[in-house]
Amino acid sequence: MRSLVQIAAAAVLFAVPALADTLTVETARGPAEVPASPEKIAVFDLSAFDTLNALGVSVAGSVDKAYLGHLKDAHEKAEVVGSLFEPDFEAINAMQPDLIIVGSRSSEQLEPLSKFAPTIDMTVWGDDLLGLAKARIEAYGKLFDRADKASALSAELDEKLAKARETVAGKGKAMIVMTNGPKVSAYGKGSRFGWLHQALELPEAVETSSENSHGEAVSFEFIRDANPDWLLVIDRSVAIGAEGARADETLDNALVAETTAWKNGQVIYLNAADLYIAGGGARSIMNTLDLLIEGFNKPS
Amino acid sequence: MSLPVRSATLLALLGLAAASLFVGVIDMAPSQLLRDSEALKLIAISRLPRTLAVILTGASLAVAGVIMQMLARNRFIEPTTAGTGQSAALGILLATLYAPGAPLALKMGLASLTALLGSGIFLLIVRRLPVTQPLLVPLVGLVYGAIIGAGVTFLAYRADLLQYVSIWLNGEFSGVIAGRYEFLFVSGVAAVIAYLAADRFSILGLGRDASISLGLNYNQMLLLGLVVVSVITALTVVNIGMIPFVGLVVPNIASRLLGDNLRSSLPFVAASGAGLVLVCDIVGRIVRHPYEIPVGTVFGVVGAVIFLWLLYAKRPSHG
Repeated sequence: MRSLVQIAAAAVLFAVPALADTLTVETARGPAEVPASPEKIAVFDLSAFDTLNALGVSVAGSVDKAYLGHLKDAHEKAEVVGSLFEPDFEAINAMQPDLIIVGSRSSEQLEPLSKFAPTIDMTVWGDDLLGLAKARIEAYGKLFDRADKASALSAELDEKLAKARETVAGKGKAMIVMTNGPKVSAYGKGSRFGWLHQALELPEAVETSSENSHGEAVSFEFIRDANPDWLLVIDRSVAIGAEGARADETLDNALVAETTAWKNGQVIYLNAADLYIAGGGARSIMNTLDLLIEGFNKPS
Repeated sequence: MSLPVRSATLLALLGLAAASLFVGVIDMAPSQLLRDSEALKLIAISRLPRTLAVILTGASLAVAGVIMQMLARNRFIEPTTAGTGQSAALGILLATLYAPGAPLALKMGLASLTALLGSGIFLLIVRRLPVTQPLLVPLVGLVYGAIIGAGVTFLAYRADLLQYVSIWLNGEFSGVIAGRYEFLFVSGVAAVIAYLAADRFSILGLGRDASISLGLNYNQMLLLGLVVVSVITALTVVNIGMIPFVGLVVPNIASRLLGDNLRSSLPFVAASGAGLVLVCDIVGRIVRHPYEIPVGTVFGVVGAVIFLWLLYAKRPSHG
């Protein structure tokens, strides 16, 4: 650890003369020094792509599929340089980007990609998803000289969050489930979708202490027993663009039908791509919050 | 099989089935059945279907294991180590990719066909192996199954379906409720057909020359056996997912205890298969209650231990 600190200190010291063309931004692995205002960027994380797009930064190269509806146009303009998990190194080499951004699914590719261009890990993940998302917005604002736009976007996010929090307050307990074909997993407070409970102060139908970020396999009896007032449903097969057993078909059965959520029509189908593929992107978060606000406001 | 063994097996199976009815997320005592209509409803919607699904799956997988061992004339293989399970998964994957809207029955039909093809090719390969090297058969089976499995993984990877495919590769009963398991009765029927032809499968296990000189229509029986194994495997993989070791350890235990007369040992095989899978499913429901551990995972552990015991324990002799 100490040697890391020393290296970092040395890097900062030696960087001073070159301050004109590099700057330091906060990344998932601590502060990193990158070239200021990079022009040609390659992005291997859709949360990052989403936020950059919201800030009006154009992306030169990205993954093979857009997944998100609102990124379609920007994605079409970008060259394909790999998938969510794997970069196409030849394409990257041919492109010669000024900066590469990785995150979550591609964060392990940081080292190999660093050989081609300065690479930063901008993963947004975990309990404080919203805090991290805002930190990324700020970092991109600094990096691409768009501080004004960044703070406007941040403010918009805060506003939406406050509205969502207000909407769900006092309306009962919720349960987040994800369907994968015929099977169902439940996601608690400590899971990858747990920020919905935490940031919105939305009570859980079942108190979980579990930290399992991938959710827990549960039976339909589990959902019946928990009897949530609200079911927040994520259909994984839709997130990855596959057809198959749909979430509503999977959940439409005699046991789930007995829950308050199903009886009162308080089942909210969240946009799987926004939540599952680009969970930390600024627009994705706001889309998810919009769906929740709309769902919780619907008279039942 | 002897009367004590028979009644003990039956009693154990009934006890496990009863236990399975009363293990679940919602607390329910047997006494509630008499006065609580909600409890009866829960039994009808959730518990009974799950218990029946486990019994049908366990029994038919064990029978499929015996038949596969007779067909290949080797004790150390079963449908999931002979490429049958992987071929079935390939079938569903192809159906999912090219006809995602097709009804489940059609997908299962396609899975059965690819399973048939996959196990047929396996038998053709096995026939060329020297009979003096019995361990070559399971080894070849593992390699063969792994190659098909790799193909499945590759296709799934290209189509972003890896986690979807894992549903079929690891069996679990958490999704079973009334209306979502009834196809499994077909694999029960396949197991009964195997029982009706039990004597002929026993002869088949003696090898091609012996069976033909005993007057058996060898090719016809071989095909029937392949169809039984493929249908059972495909239906299980599509509805529940693969459960390893069932078709391997249960027939071996039965063979130790009762010999190879299938007409007398098949009922025991079916009952023990059902019982063992019931135990594993109950354990999977209890260990992390109210969450579940897939039965395939639990049986993987239990089955491996039993298999090692079978390999190292002394084989009793019987006449």
